[in-house]
Amino acid sequence: MTQQIIVNSRAIDILAVLMLMTTIVLIGTSRLRTCIWAYACRSFMLTLASGLIAYFSGIHHIYITTGISLALKVVVIPGFLFYIVKKNNIKKEVGSYINYTLALILACCIILIAYYSTQNIIQFENIFMRHCLPIALSITLLGFFIMISRKQAITQIIGLITMEDGMFFAALSTSYGMPLIVELGLFFDILVSVIIMGIYVYRIKESFDDLDTDLLRELRE
Amino acid sequence: MIILLLLIIPIITAIACVFTKKHGISKYISIAGSFIALVYNIYLNYNIYTYKTLQGFNNFFYVDALTILTTQIVTIVAFAAALYSAGYMEAELRWGKISEKKLQWYYFLMHMFIFTMLLVCVLNNLGVMWVAIEGTTLATTFLVGFYNGKQHQEAAWKYIILCSVGITLALFGVILTYHSAKGVLGEIGYALNWSDLRTVADKFEPHLMKLAFLFILVGYGTKAGLAPMHTWLPDAHSQAPSPISALFSGVLINCSMYGIIRYHILTSKCVGSDYSCTLLMIFGLISIIVSVPFILIQKDYKRLLAFSSVEHIGVIALGIGFGGMYSVYGAELHTFNHAVTKALLFFCAGNLFLKYKTTEMENIKGVIKTLPVTGTILAIAVFAITGTPPFNIFVSEFLILADGFHSGNLFTIIFTCIVIVCITLIFVGFIYNMFRMIFGTPTGDIPKGETSKFTTAAMLFLLFFVLIISFYIPPLLREVLRNIYDIMRNA
Repeated sequence: MTQQIIVNSRAIDILAVLMLMTTIVLIGTSRLRTCIWAYACRSFMLTLASGLIAYFSGIHHIYITTGISLALKVVVIPGFLFYIVKKNNIKKEVGSYINYTLALILACCIILIAYYSTQNIIQFENIFMRHCLPIALSITLLGFFIMISRKQAITQIIGLITMEDGMFFAALSTSYGMPLIVELGLFFDILVSVIIMGIYVYRIKESFDDLDTDLLRELRE
Repeated sequence: MIILLLLIIPIITAIACVFTKKHGISKYISIAGSFIALVYNIYLNYNIYTYKTLQGFNNFFYVDALTILTTQIVTIVAFAAALYSAGYMEAELRWGKISEKKLQWYYFLMHMFIFTMLLVCVLNNLGVMWVAIEGTTLATTFLVGFYNGKQHQEAAWKYIILCSVGITLALFGVILTYHSAKGVLGEIGYALNWSDLRTVADKFEPHLMKLAFLFILVGYGTKAGLAPMHTWLPDAHSQAPSPISALFSGVLINCSMYGIIRYHILTSKCVGSDYSCTLLMIFGLISIIVSVPFILIQKDYKRLLAFSSVEHIGVIALGIGFGGMYSVYGAELHTFNHAVTKALLFFCAGNLFLKYKTTEMENIKGVIKTLPVTGTILAIAVFAITGTPPFNIFVSEFLILADGFHSGNLFTIIFTCIVIVCITLIFVGFIYNMFRMIFGTPTGDIPKGETSKFTTAAMLFLLFFVLIISFYIPPLLREVLRNIYDIMRNA
């Protein structure tokens, strides 16, 4: 039994670390397509982790959220983002307020902070989630960091869904996910907000002829 | 079932507005729908008066005095906004600013927006409430960017990005609450019902609840417009169509504040009221202080009103933070007063915009001559919003500040003194900016006359509430406010 738990814990730990690494790839890359691929990869690992947790814990409703997450986060949202990139004919990445080397160093600091601050928050009844909460929080904060540091509208959308992924993983690792109805509402919200943002990306591109959110500075005091 | 009906009314209205082809009909549907919701809510109010709480659908809905106050504000301002939209949007249609097809979507989105706000208030499950608060953001993004100009798109983009980030942070608070509730209640499905959590909140892990409240305050506080997370607010409130600005400033920020209060009650019960009260006081004070310079140097009247909303949400947070009987009573009364007064001011602003076609204050002179009714109401509303006696805002602010002095705590008294200085400065800024517009001789040849009888009716409707609360608090409202204090104290 103990052997079993250790094996399970290893599998989920490995997935969690892989998720963190793909998030770092997001920060270190300037190419938009790579970013979307990295997002899709991370979502796939998240789905896998969620499926494993459902299997190990024997809670059935996690299978449902796993299924929806597979459809939505791995297929629909990345597909939609690729569609926006293609439709708006976006070639160049606008870039970041800080250079990529510095961004990676800051990302490491963020991960350290996340580990340090979550050390003693929660006494886990099961051992196999111990490393998951710091990683979930790291992913959330890194998503936040992407939103602050990048200038381009689409990268900001990716930052936001990264944050939401982190939260999803946090819920999964602390308490086996939220109640089913909340999870369903959450997925609905993510889908609708990504679609609305996609529409605004199109409109901003139409009127500003660029997706650099630095251009959005008309409303000032 | 009787709670569900309140939610169905705006949905039916929204759908009916989309399917009617002519604006002439859809505006009457919109007015009728919101009027039915208003009357129905008064009926619910009487139910609360007798039964204290209502529950429905296996505890999915939960209505108590706190809910009913917020929904009452939503329905009152929504009815006024529907009435005002009928005149205002028709004038914009004549002006050629929007097309007839877009107008149908306007009514649809407006009623969906009202629906999501009512939904936030009646939900018992805190997780679903989170979903509904995010829903209000999604329903209103297109309303912020309704005119499709560059600055409207900028405002809409800022709005959806900042509010979504804030709400995502709040989700962490919900997760932590769920985690600590699961430890106590055990049952997965019911672990997030507020009515259940409230009874066992004292058994939660204190440090988890503290962390949860912090995330909730920052997250929902972004939506409520508490400084320093308020930066989207002046843009969104000033770029939206005026009736929508009224709904934003009057009620949307109250809905987010409602979410914060629910967690405030849980946290107070778990770790004692000091922690959450102090945080609310600090954020409230920062909001009031931050709004002062922007009000003094403001050039755009809609932004001026938006910054005033930041100030007033700060006053409400401060009043709840003081936590005494008079200040909680005052803060909840202030929620009502601010909603009706600010909505009234945004209606005046809409009329000014239609008449002068500008939002710059320097280009507007002699409102009292070109728009006699709007000018008079604007003058009254400006005095009311700045807290001049004998108007309604004075009553509620006085209650809050008096309790601040009465508490005897040194920090609270210092806070109260700072607030009084800020309110005085804001008074100066408002009077200086607004009265330069109201008086003087109009430049150019601007025709005299009001926008339409709908807009005037909407303004008189809200003015009625402003004046009546100034002198007399109806027993129904008084009872609701007293019940809210009981809910908070029993926590």
